[in-house]
Amino acid sequence: MKKIALQILGIIILIPAVGMATLRVENQNADGPSILFPGGEMTTGRLHTGPEPDWSFTDDIQLVELQLNDPMASRLIYVLEADGRLFIISGYMTTMLGRLWKEWAFEADEGNNEGVLRVDDVRYPRTLVRVEEGDILDGVAAKLITKYGGAPNASPEAIARTRAGIEAGNSWVFELIPR
Amino acid sequence: MKTKNYLILCAAVALTTSMSILFMPGLSDTVETRMLSWLGNNARAEQPY
Repeated sequence: MKKIALQILGIIILIPAVGMATLRVENQNADGPSILFPGGEMTTGRLHTGPEPDWSFTDDIQLVELQLNDPMASRLIYVLEADGRLFIISGYMTTMLGRLWKEWAFEADEGNNEGVLRVDDVRYPRTLVRVEEGDILDGVAAKLITKYGGAPNASPEAIARTRAGIEAGNSWVFELIPR
Repeated sequence: MKTKNYLILCAAVALTTSMSILFMPGLSDTVETRMLSWLGNNARAEQPY
């Protein structure tokens, strides 16, 4: 009886596990990420040339698509504009979850940092440069608190706390520089 | 069920699951949407990024 129960449990676990693995593999070569799974090379959308746009329009956009070229993969990510510059942030970086989930951030930090940002069907070739210190982190922290933290405004204490977390390496901030 | 038969059943279930997701139109979107909904209901966000 116990053996049958274990066998049924095995089947119950097997179906979603195989389903998730299949969805992940299926999405590997897709034109951009899905909500849950990384995608492949982003090939559609106009390629941006010319001067940089006013990135403040991203304040109304929760998620953007970011592709890194080596290894080629794309994912959805939060985006922050501060002082006219564009940033992305990766949390949980000192945890085991971060090491497994945010492999792209480690790749970018090690130098495989060329990629493409796609916003509103426009592709922007970018280089990711990690920002570990500097006053710009105050602006990034403030935007993070108000845009994604749900706070109406960012207090100096909250900004200092968030900035300290970035400087301690708990969260990694990358600036998206044109290339 | 004998182990050999059970493993054959597991292989058949896995193959059927994979093929269904790959080839049944709309199924992959449905599965992903349901999964997202489940995660949304059960995950507790401690950090919004």
